[in-house]
Amino acid sequence: MSEAIVTARGLTKSYLSGDRHIAVLRGIDLDIAAGESVSIRGESGSGKSTLLNLLAGLDSPDAGTLAWGDDPVAAARRAQFLGMVFQSFYLIPEIDALANVLMASRIVRAPGEAERARAKELLASVGLAERAKHLPAQLSGGERQRVALARALMNAPKLILADEPTGNLDEHTGDAVIELLLGLCASTHTTLVLVTHNATHAAKTGRQLFLRDGLFS
Amino acid sequence: MPWYLYLALKQLFPSGRKFPFFTAISILGVALGVAVLIISTSVMGGFGHQIRLMTVDTQGDVQVRADGFINNPDEVQAQLARIPGIVATTPYAQGMVGVLHNSKAQYPGIQGIDPARIGRVVPLQRYLTPAGALSDLDDDSVILSVQLAGLLGAQLGDKVEVYSPLLIEKLKNDSVLLPRELRVVGIFEFGHQALDSTVVLVTLRTMQDLYGLGGAVHGINVKLEPGLDADEAAARINAALPPALHLHAVSWMDINHDFLFVLQFERNMLFFLLTFIIIVAAFSVTSSLLISVVRKTREIGLLGALGGQPWQVAACFCCQGFIIGAAGTLVGLGLGFGVLAIRDDIVHLFTRLTGSEAAMLRFYQFSHLPSYPDPAYISATIVCSIVISTLAGLLPAWRAARLQPVEALRNE
Repeated sequence: MSEAIVTARGLTKSYLSGDRHIAVLRGIDLDIAAGESVSIRGESGSGKSTLLNLLAGLDSPDAGTLAWGDDPVAAARRAQFLGMVFQSFYLIPEIDALANVLMASRIVRAPGEAERARAKELLASVGLAERAKHLPAQLSGGERQRVALARALMNAPKLILADEPTGNLDEHTGDAVIELLLGLCASTHTTLVLVTHNATHAAKTGRQLFLRDGLFS
Repeated sequence: MPWYLYLALKQLFPSGRKFPFFTAISILGVALGVAVLIISTSVMGGFGHQIRLMTVDTQGDVQVRADGFINNPDEVQAQLARIPGIVATTPYAQGMVGVLHNSKAQYPGIQGIDPARIGRVVPLQRYLTPAGALSDLDDDSVILSVQLAGLLGAQLGDKVEVYSPLLIEKLKNDSVLLPRELRVVGIFEFGHQALDSTVVLVTLRTMQDLYGLGGAVHGINVKLEPGLDADEAAARINAALPPALHLHAVSWMDINHDFLFVLQFERNMLFFLLTFIIIVAAFSVTSSLLISVVRKTREIGLLGALGGQPWQVAACFCCQGFIIGAAGTLVGLGLGFGVLAIRDDIVHLFTRLTGSEAAMLRFYQFSHLPSYPDPAYISATIVCSIVISTLAGLLPAWRAARLQPVEALRNE
C-alpha cells in the first residue's frame, strides 16, 4: 500500500445563504495515495471547489477530519506540502515569469542559486525557457497557466490541487496544459487532484470521482 | 530579502516598467512635505542663527550691567579678567541722540565704545566699509550705520551734528549746550535692518561727554573662550562678582530671550503645521494602497494559498508605506537643500518681480535670506516623514491581512 497523501473522513461543509443553511458537502470520505492522480467532476455548485479548498487547508470543515500524510492539516505546512493551480492563473503582474515561479519558493525562504536553477528548469520543462523574463501581460493564456504549473511544482510538493485549470483556455490549449500537468506529476511522482468539468480530461487521470449533492457517487 | 519586502518593492517599482504613476505621485507628495519642512525650519533657524552671530559680534557673549551706572569700569574689568574663561572685556555706554546733517534729522541709538579694546571683544572692523577704519575713530568723530548715513546723506569726511538729551536738562536750568560736531570716519553694515538704520558709534569719552556720565559706563561687554556656554559663564561671573557692586552678568541669550523664544516658538509651530502636509500626503498613500488592496484581492488570496501568513501580507503593504516614506524623504531632502542652496537667487528674483526688496529688508531685517539647517529638526523631519508614511500603510495592511485566501480567490 502506497503512502497516504490525503485522508479525509466525514467532511461536511455548509454555507449560510440568507437565513438558510445550504449543505455543500455531506460527509466526504476520501483517501488519496502518493503518486495517484484523481479527478473530481460534478455539476456547478456541487461542492468541487469547496472540497478542494478544504483539501488545501484554505477552509475548514464544519465536521470531519482531514490529514496531509500522517499529520493534520496545518497552514504552516501548506507551502511545502502542496501546490495549487487555479482557473484564473493568478500570476503576480508586476514580476516576470521566472520571478512568479520563484515566488512559491520565496515564501518559504529567500531563494538561492539552487532555487533559481530549479525555477529555470521548471520553466524549461513547461516549454517557456525563452519567456522567463516576460511579464504575465506579455504571455498568452496557455503560457500563463504553464507558468502557474511550474510555480505549483516549485517547492517539490507532494500534492498538486488543480481547480479547473483549463476553464479559461481554448480546447486545444487546455488539452496541452492537461497533458503537461499529468506528465509532470507522473514524472515527479506528485499526487494530483484535478477538479474539472471536462470528462475527457478527467478520463486521463488514474481515478475519477463524481460529486453529486455533496457526496461522491 | 523577505518575500513581503521583495513584493512591496516590485509592486512599487514593477519589472520592465517605467516609474509607475502611483509610486511617483506618492513619493512626490511626501517629498514636497519634507522639502517644505526643511526649507522653512532651516530659514527660521537661519534667522535665529544670524541673530546669535550678530548679537555676539555686536555685544560679546556676556554683558555685565549695573542697576544704574558702573562708576569704576577699570576696577570691574580687572576683577572680570581674573575669572577663568574670560578672554577680553570692553566697556560701553549707550543711549539715544539726534543727528543732523544737511537739514536732515535722524534719532538713532548711540554706542560709546573703547576703540582700543573693542576689537578684542567684537569684530567691528569686519563690518566697516573698506574706506573706513576703526583706528580713525577719535573723540571728534563718529561711525554711522549704512542706512543711517544714506538717510542723512552723509559720507566719509562729512561732519554731522549730534544732539544729546543733556541739552534738555541744560535748557531746564536756562543754560544752553551746543550740539557736538563729529566727523564721519567710518560706515558699518551688519546686514541687519535694525542695526544698519539706527545706530551710531562714538568713542566712550565722547559718549560720556554727551550724556554727562563722567567716567561711568552702562556696562561691560565680555568675550568668552570659544565653545564656552554663555549662560554658564554668566552664572559664574555673577557668583564671582562682589554683591556690593550691584552688578549682574547676562548672556546674549538672556538679553535676546524674548526674541529667541518667539523665533523658537514660530519654528516649532511651523514644524507642527507643515507636518500636516506630510499627513495629507500620507492620506493619499493610504487611499492608493487601499485601492491596491481591492485591486489585488485575488493576488492576496494567492499569497495566502502559497503559504504566506496574514502578518506577512500586512507587512507587504506596511513596507510599501515605509518605502514611499523613505524615498519621499530622500527626494525631499535633496529638493529642500537644493532650494536652500539657491534661496537668495529665488528671493531676489521674487522681490525684483514684485518690487518688494525694500519691504523685505524692512520687515525681515536681513539683506540675505539666512539658513541654518538644525540637525535636530532635520532628524525630526526624517523620522516624522517615515513614521507617518509607514503608518499610512497600516490600514491597507490590516484590510489585506483580514482577507481570507478562500474568499479572496473566490473574488472573480
